[in-house]
Amino acid sequence: MLEGVFGNITIEKILFMLYVYGEGYPLGFAKTFGEPVNRFQQQLRRLENAGIVISRLIGKVRLYTFNPRYPFLEELKALVAKAYEFLPDKEKKAYYTKRTRPRRAGKPL
Amino acid sequence: MKIDWQRIGIKELAALISEKLREKGIDTILVGGACVSIYTKNRYLSFDLDFVTHARIKDVSAVLDEVGFRRESSRHFIRRDCPFFIEFVAPPAAIGDEPLKDENRISTKYGTVVLLTPTDSVKDRLSAYYHWNDTQALDQAMLVAKAQKINLHEVKRWSEKERRTEKYLDFLRRLRSKK
Repeated sequence: MLEGVFGNITIEKILFMLYVYGEGYPLGFAKTFGEPVNRFQQQLRRLENAGIVISRLIGKVRLYTFNPRYPFLEELKALVAKAYEFLPDKEKKAYYTKRTRPRRAGKPL
Repeated sequence: MKIDWQRIGIKELAALISEKLREKGIDTILVGGACVSIYTKNRYLSFDLDFVTHARIKDVSAVLDEVGFRRESSRHFIRRDCPFFIEFVAPPAAIGDEPLKDENRISTKYGTVVLLTPTDSVKDRLSAYYHWNDTQALDQAMLVAKAQKINLHEVKRWSEKERRTEKYLDFLRRLRSKK
């Protein structure tokens, strides 16, 4: 849906993930969509260079979030939110409804 | 003019780079920690020069190459014998969601650097404190506010717009208690 605006579908997936979960990391994105991790790393770097996302290293994981200082953040989020509404339920269920509540370490599944 | 790259000051380097780029029609504005260094006469020392430009990075790179700064990654430039690191951050130059309305110019023997005003420099640092609770950024905002004449009404107005009045009041309290 936003592919035409952003130039590729990976950016759209990243923006939906950040919109829904608030944060994410390349391997997490890759596993969710079953795609190569470098595809996401490359696009996240592009978004970071543009000031749209920021990252910080937590242990060995580089965690990405929207950049709260990006001057068009409110407008971008509104666009992403609108596009997300139009996403088929099947797709929302498959990719954007992961468990986000905590799970105690060592707890059996 | 012979340049001692190891000992050059941050203000002089910023001016030199700005002037070289200006000669090729590339306008820049210096933002971030380098402005704090300049306004506090290095009471806070940054080794990072962040410029905002609307020019293509390829064109910037060609100019910096002439003064020995090599492109290290997509937007970073280094020169082996110089302690400073130059970055071109993505435009626009903004504080929060507001475009810059004003700018400052400082002239040196190497040229003129266009940079954030002291008031915008305080807002820029406070923005990092507001969003990420970065107390180093808060300290830098206070250093600039104490070293330069700033417009506190403007800082207050902007902080309210950012919905960070409480943190602004904290900044003000600390500023007044340390005066």
